[in-house]
Amino acid sequence: MKNHSGLSVVVVGLLAIALALSGCSSGNQPSAVTSLSGAGATFPYPLYSKMFDTYDGVTGVRVNYNSIGSGGGIKALTDKTVDFGASDAFLNDQEEAAMGAPVLHIPTCVGAVVLSYNLDGSPSLKLDGSVTANIFLGTVTKWNDPSIAKLNPGVSLPDLAITVVHRSDGSGTTSIFTSYLAAVSTAWKTAVGAGKSVSWPAGVGGKGNDGVAGMISQTKGGIGYIELVYAEQSNMPFASLKNASGRFVAPSLASSAAAAAVSLPDDLRVVIVDSPAADAYAVSAFTWILVYKEQNYAGRTLGQAQALKKLLIWMLTDGQAINEGLSYARLPAIAVTKALALVDSMTYGGTTIP
Amino acid sequence: MAVQPSRSDRRELVRERAFTAAGLTAAVALVTTILLFLVQLFITSRASRAAFGLPFLWRSEWNPVTEQFGALPMIIGTLITGFGALLISTPFALGIAIFLADYAGKKAAEPVKYLIGLLGGLPSVIFGLWGLFVLVPIVSRFEVWFGKLVGSEALVSSGTTGVGLLAAILLLAIMILPFSASLILESLLVVPMELKEGALALGATKWDTIQNVELPYVRRSTVGALVLSLGRALGETMAVTMVIGNGMRLPHSLFDPANTLASAIANQFLEATSPVYVASLVQLALILFVIAIVINIAARVILRRGVLQ
Repeated sequence: MKNHSGLSVVVVGLLAIALALSGCSSGNQPSAVTSLSGAGATFPYPLYSKMFDTYDGVTGVRVNYNSIGSGGGIKALTDKTVDFGASDAFLNDQEEAAMGAPVLHIPTCVGAVVLSYNLDGSPSLKLDGSVTANIFLGTVTKWNDPSIAKLNPGVSLPDLAITVVHRSDGSGTTSIFTSYLAAVSTAWKTAVGAGKSVSWPAGVGGKGNDGVAGMISQTKGGIGYIELVYAEQSNMPFASLKNASGRFVAPSLASSAAAAAVSLPDDLRVVIVDSPAADAYAVSAFTWILVYKEQNYAGRTLGQAQALKKLLIWMLTDGQAINEGLSYARLPAIAVTKALALVDSMTYGGTTIP
Repeated sequence: MAVQPSRSDRRELVRERAFTAAGLTAAVALVTTILLFLVQLFITSRASRAAFGLPFLWRSEWNPVTEQFGALPMIIGTLITGFGALLISTPFALGIAIFLADYAGKKAAEPVKYLIGLLGGLPSVIFGLWGLFVLVPIVSRFEVWFGKLVGSEALVSSGTTGVGLLAAILLLAIMILPFSASLILESLLVVPMELKEGALALGATKWDTIQNVELPYVRRSTVGALVLSLGRALGETMAVTMVIGNGMRLPHSLFDPANTLASAIANQFLEATSPVYVASLVQLALILFVIAIVINIAARVILRRGVLQ
């Protein structure tokens, strides 16, 4: 009996704690806005956490960012549980409709996706859009295929099978890469298309950049796509790609930023892959922060709207200085100007936020 | 005999009641949670059923771009890896259990039992890493060797990665081995001494005793143990994801990349945004849930009959 009574106290205690916790989980926002919350893409997470950390030091406003994936971020914003969402792909019309109100896309940096491979001697390769598409379609299967050899005179290519490695998890990286393939190859566009997950015609899948990179480095003859940041950190060889103006350009911070320095639409909802700029690396893209244009929703205060606007302006101006140190390309001036105009168009109760 | 209950007796009674109430609440909460799981899965997957209906179960296309979804490749992948792993690990599990119960002395058996327990408690991501860095290259070499043996050029050329169904089956077999071995061992240890001694007294050899007395005695609980291990194999996510190759098409051979229900959900849920896509992933979860329930009920039934026997 002694045993039982001891146990009952523990059980009752635990239940009481559980009830108490569930009762007080819905806290109210403090009246003076000292914190903001966001959720979404994992790709810019290292950048955002450094930016928000700096921002806290400068202004005393804490920004909590959960890198739960673009899908989760879009859902959180739709459910109005966060101040902003973050996504590596802009909202399609269906998703925008689900939001119920106009949403602004504010780009924060330019990311590049590189083609990395595992060949003896790590030769630096040149590829173009149609050859890359054919490799990922599974129609070019050997490294010494004439179409690859033609682009790489002087490089001795082995008689080795090409093993395609792609992402198994849904990701903005896949979205950027498949958008590029769809832009440069009609065969890819009709057979596969573009998206965060696609139905891959060939190859094996690895989870995350590290999964893909790991599989490439384990497989002789492997080729796959990873983020530039990741390839640089892990010292993997990557290919130069022929861009829209016919030049072979290696991925770098400068060449991916160059891709964004073109005429952009005012809403910045644009895929900048296969950019016409002369020095552009072809597989570059924005990553966005998503906010509602009208900030007076779900009981939000003017203070919250102002705090959010200040944060966004800071990220587009002072915050940009952080980008390159973490291997994210800075937004070109033209994109910053348009993004600031978007931020200025945010309203509270129909009037501009002061 | 009406004895006035003493103060301490009454206090005991109150405690008893409080404990019963607390226990009951916890039990009801648990059952309700599981039912709510099911209801929630059912509701969130509605859009998928509305779009594809029952054919979702045997459609083999999984294309997020065109929003055409079917679960067959993942159902097949789940069942093949689960049963394949069971098939491979069972002889080893039986062997280990019999050895520890009847052949190894106590001094040898105890540390081995401890190690088995340790292996069973290892986080699956560690198995996954080991699988990716050690097992997969071995499978890859085997694949090339096998391809040359049967003269399949396709196998030799495509078989250089090593990830795929076979790697997943082997890894799962290793992962469920400690689980099934210790469950079988537990049931072997409760075979009554009299039965064993009786058989030995009749002149049976040790092997005769195992074959004709012990194994028939634990037959049902062994099947139960294996079914429980199967349940574990079917739901394993992390380790499988790392070695199965995550192909969303129907596999044609054991060397092909494939996927399981659990691994497909884990991979794609985070970035899934369109309603039908999300609903289809939840539908996969529902299918896995049903498979897991059926297997667990089967295990319970077999185990209970084993006890009654």
